[in-house]
Amino acid sequence: MNVLRWWWGLLLAFALVALVRVFLPLPFANEIIIFSIYTMGCNYLLGRIGFISFGQPAYLAVGAYATAFYLFYFGNNPYVGILIGVLAGIVVSFAIGPLFVRLRGDYFALVNLALAVIIFYLMQKVLAGITHGDNGLWFLTSMTSTPVLDLSRPDQFFIFAFLVAFALWAFYKYLDDSIFGACCLATKLNEDKVKFLGYSSFNIRLFAFVIANTTTALAGAMYAVYLGFVSPEITSPARAADPVVVTILGGVGTLYGPIVGSIVYTGMKDVLSKVLGNWELVIGFVLVFIMLAGEKGIWGTLEPLIKKTFLRVTGNAADRGGSSR
Amino acid sequence: MIDMQLLISGIIFGLSLGGIFFLMTIGLSLCFGLMRIISLDQLLYYSIGGYITYSVSLAVGNIWLGVLGGVIVGGLAALAVERIVFRRIYDRDLPFTMITSFGVLIGGVGVIKYFWGLVPRPVPVPIDAQVFIIGTEIPVYRLVIIGIAGLVYVGIWLFLNRTIIGKAIRAGTEDVEHVEGLGINVYRLFTITFVIAGGLSGLAGGLHAPLIMVDPNMGLEVLAFVFMVVIIGGLGSIKGTLVSSFLVGQVVSIGSLIYAPLAQMAPFAIMLLILLIRPTGLFGSQMLKR
Repeated sequence: MNVLRWWWGLLLAFALVALVRVFLPLPFANEIIIFSIYTMGCNYLLGRIGFISFGQPAYLAVGAYATAFYLFYFGNNPYVGILIGVLAGIVVSFAIGPLFVRLRGDYFALVNLALAVIIFYLMQKVLAGITHGDNGLWFLTSMTSTPVLDLSRPDQFFIFAFLVAFALWAFYKYLDDSIFGACCLATKLNEDKVKFLGYSSFNIRLFAFVIANTTTALAGAMYAVYLGFVSPEITSPARAADPVVVTILGGVGTLYGPIVGSIVYTGMKDVLSKVLGNWELVIGFVLVFIMLAGEKGIWGTLEPLIKKTFLRVTGNAADRGGSSR
Repeated sequence: MIDMQLLISGIIFGLSLGGIFFLMTIGLSLCFGLMRIISLDQLLYYSIGGYITYSVSLAVGNIWLGVLGGVIVGGLAALAVERIVFRRIYDRDLPFTMITSFGVLIGGVGVIKYFWGLVPRPVPVPIDAQVFIIGTEIPVYRLVIIGIAGLVYVGIWLFLNRTIIGKAIRAGTEDVEHVEGLGINVYRLFTITFVIAGGLSGLAGGLHAPLIMVDPNMGLEVLAFVFMVVIIGGLGSIKGTLVSSFLVGQVVSIGSLIYAPLAQMAPFAIMLLILLIRPTGLFGSQMLKR
């Protein structure tokens, strides 16, 4: 019963996403799912470690290009491609993590953005012989159909992405309740005390960095498989703030923030770009407004209201269900 | 080995690029030093400076007037943003100000797109003349940019060391509460600093506009370089900003002579190297949130 109480929120959220699939066109639903995986990494960094990263596209590109290289040059099984993307994410974040996590929060953000730009130029110009520069790598037709879930078909890809996202959410939920999650949060709030208690704040940050960026790389790998092509545009500096914006929009550090943020952001992008033509204007002002209004985001504002209503219905005052701090 | 003439023109190109970087990052650096905010919206005033230069030079025919207009409008925009947004968030932590200012930047880019459209626009070069330095043809305009950057550095130095407001700003960098205790209105100091920063970013945009084409994302394009300059030099240090902006300018320029893609990669390598040795940059101190 206790387990159910903890998980009802998660199940509810995913029931809503499944509903989204029924009512909205498939590309839109796929976009939302992948984008929320993308945002989860950033959300973990910002909400749990207190590190803001303007360079998430760098890790997205690492995953996407690792997958693309495999699918373009070596093999044609999308599952193996995604696996390679994730491995690349782990390797890259372990390689640069020790260097990055010892920086102060503000320098961390700046260095990450610089990394994203470097990877952009690396893929666009320096490695143009392998990556085909701005033309990108196309491998949509070379992917073989796989048994059980055929990733080369968008409708089956959605089910796969849905399952992956659900597993990730469960994983982050588990992390939040574990000692490691508590340590992460403690590092954000008071690093000195964490050190005093005998934990290595460096190790905690490093592992959180690796976890978050591997998640991002996974999102990149899934983008690659879903779109069937990868171009340097994926890590363009102009899109560097997307995950941060979505994280803020949804609510920093909340579990459901990424999904709410992704739905709203993708929706706004689709609707507003048809009506207005330049949706950055609205996104920018919404971002400033949310920050000035107390940086709680959409989910952070809605959560207490929902909880109150829910408690009133069940009449259970001690219910901690769906709590995500 | 590189051709001598190519090398000289490369150095001059790097110096002028460094001058532009310096004008842009000095605002960021000043704002960090005094207010402990990271004001990414300086890049918006840079774009505004470029666009005002374009529009005024098209209407009046004089580009210098356009640059002047860019400085004024950049400063005014900074004043408005400071009054509406930043005034409320001075006491928040750094990532918070960073996100908020990024929101201002994206919103501002949207406004620019609304007014001027998406198409890149060319701005004519105000001085066509060339001079010969050791047998190399050098555009005078680039030398003018270097001169203006030097003048601004001297001006900022004089302002901070010789005027009472400048001294108050320097004192505020050290300890803002003591300055407040002396009866100085620090919020006015903040506003002044922010407007100076915005004006200088506008100047950078106006001066850079003839060398590149103005387009709505011009601010986002230099974002990475500005970050590199700030990181290498150390946040909050004006001397560090000067040194690192010319360093990055040279690395970009000379690097592109040796191997074109190096231009974008080399500054990053240098930045990583410096961060390995000194996590706060060359001249940065351990300035934390008060």
